Amino acid sequence: MRRGTFVRWGVPIAAAAVIGGAIGAGPVIAAVSGEPVLPERSAQQLLADAVAANSKDGGLPPMSGTVQQTASLGLPALPQAGEASPLSLLSGSHEVKVWYGAADKLRVAMPTQLNETNLIVNGGQAWYWDSSTNTATKLTIKAGARKEHELPTPRPTDLTPQQVAERLLANVDQHTAVRVINTAEVAGRPVYQLVLAPKAEGSLVQEIRIALDGETYVPLQVQVYAKGSAEPAFQVGFTQVTFTPPAAENFTFTPPAGAKVEEQTIGADFAENEEQRAEHAKDVAGQAKVVGEGWAAVAVVPFSLENLKTEAPAGQERGADPGALVDSVLKSATPVSGTWGSGKLIRTKLVTALLTDDGRLLVGAVTPEEITKAAGVK
Amino acid sequence: MSTAEKADTRAATGDPEAGTDAARRTPGLVPVAETMRTTERHPPEPSGAVPAGAGRPWAFWRLLGSELGLTFRRPRNLVMLAVLGAVPVIIGIALRVVASDGQMGGMIQDVAGNSLMLTFVSFSFLVLLLMPVAVSVVAGDSIAGEAGAGTLRYLLAAPAGRTRLLLVKYLNAVVFAYAVTAVVALSALLTGLILFPAGPVTLLSGTTVSVADGLLRILITVGYVGAAMAALAAIALALSTFTEVSIGAIAATLVLVIVCQVLRAIPELGSITPYLLPTRFTNFDAVLRSPIDTGALREGLLAFGAYIVLFGSIAWARFSGKDITS
Repeated sequence: MRRGTFVRWGVPIAAAAVIGGAIGAGPVIAAVSGEPVLPERSAQQLLADAVAANSKDGGLPPMSGTVQQTASLGLPALPQAGEASPLSLLSGSHEVKVWYGAADKLRVAMPTQLNETNLIVNGGQAWYWDSSTNTATKLTIKAGARKEHELPTPRPTDLTPQQVAERLLANVDQHTAVRVINTAEVAGRPVYQLVLAPKAEGSLVQEIRIALDGETYVPLQVQVYAKGSAEPAFQVGFTQVTFTPPAAENFTFTPPAGAKVEEQTIGADFAENEEQRAEHAKDVAGQAKVVGEGWAAVAVVPFSLENLKTEAPAGQERGADPGALVDSVLKSATPVSGTWGSGKLIRTKLVTALLTDDGRLLVGAVTPEEITKAAGVK
Repeated sequence: MSTAEKADTRAATGDPEAGTDAARRTPGLVPVAETMRTTERHPPEPSGAVPAGAGRPWAFWRLLGSELGLTFRRPRNLVMLAVLGAVPVIIGIALRVVASDGQMGGMIQDVAGNSLMLTFVSFSFLVLLLMPVAVSVVAGDSIAGEAGAGTLRYLLAAPAGRTRLLLVKYLNAVVFAYAVTAVVALSALLTGLILFPAGPVTLLSGTTVSVADGLLRILITVGYVGAAMAALAAIALALSTFTEVSIGAIAATLVLVIVCQVLRAIPELGSITPYLLPTRFTNFDAVLRSPIDTGALREGLLAFGAYIVLFGSIAWARFSGKDITS
């Protein structure tokens, strides 16, 4: 080969290298320039700062950005669920855009191919817009419905931030090792990562990382790592974020001409069925029990397949047929047996489920060994 | 089109110039009879003779002009443009018929409610396969077609240089790519205006913008889709330098496009889809959001630029060192 040939082919090779470099530049530059280092904080200091920063003047600062959610739970392949179906969130990667103006000003948009769904909250008004059905739904939150359902957690304003942090950590310490990483970066911003690692041996969770922005202490990312994998099994967080107040037109919505307009009151259904629901919940709660504690807890629920298959379709209007879904999940289950009896084991990266032949469903973020151990506890 | 036809076309454009031929020829390089063909590539000058070497920068544009003339006079290219122009009309009529039935889905409703939406719907159908076919036929034929017909060496006999010839061939394909995009847009716009009511445009985000804003967004779409097709043309051009059978380069480009579409459909390969060119083709729907998703458009254009640089340099490396045997 002539020398000129080498020189010539050097050009496309160099071009490829430059392009490859540009694609990989983000991580590479971050690695070369050294991680951003924030002043060191203990977990307690960090939580106290976070609570202090987010409880003053109406919560989070105005911001906008793109949130990406990625899940690789190692689930058996699901039959095609509708794109808007919550089940589709269990696999693959999804992106939403978020505009946050104030506590009562929010827009969340989920762009899909030539479609978009929007949730716009402005003051007491909320709109849900779905371009694929050309429907705008006006949502009214029924007064009172919200208060009843509020969780009985201590309100941040009742306590000083330090106290909140102390209480949180006191409960957590027993089962969890907590540490803080101050060299991480999310969406180009230096963050503190609060790392919660379960102490229990049998847990499938390696650690949970919560990233708080180094400046505003807004949570920017949550990652759940499964044991034995370097990539997070579940991740939700900003890929791009700016802390500037978004334009006002993001929060105004007028149903376009020709669109179907519907009205819906959230909480109305709830109130009607409340007694029934409460009874049902009590019923289930009476039968369910928890074996083990902390991260190694396994929930045991009485369960039969026939019930699920007959009950479920009524509740579900769109998306995949739940019967088919259950069938496909069960197909991937491995039959297991032991002194406790026999059943079918479904394994994913984070959660193990055991369906025993005597009609119990055991679910926990634990290894199969732990779950069969729990099955032995009557 | 056969070789003979090609030669005829060139002869027709070059005949008036034949007399001035002797003044321009580089002596001793090629036989006179063959030089005729090369010089014939220059369009006839109204003033008659051009002094040899007088307009070197002009030579480039003259070559490009003559290439464009050939491209847009070739019956098969015109047929492709006509077919692409007809598709939005068919889509429009079909949607019109469906819409009058009263059963309206989301997209049909969008188009039925506004004439400008037909443009975006037409693009979303055509950009996946039909437009890539048209562009790769022209770009894939550019070098391989000349080599196959035995006209490449005559082209190179002119003092133009291989790099310049390659650039002319690529620009020719880019202009054709934009022509394809413009034909689709105009045809869809006219069909839409005739069949559906005009008025403020409802975007995917549910906000409504004025007609002028809608037209501006169509213009941005044309620019974006044209750039997408230009990136595909770079791949076709690169493949075209590796073969003397133009149909090989055309088929290879289309196979690449289809393989990419198949790979995109496999959810397990989600991590590589952002790097595949066709993934970016349909991202023009960013203009239909409010605010316009400039991030998606910028990413798409950067990807197109990367493809053009990479495959352009491959084409150059191959073509500038190629032994021209035909």
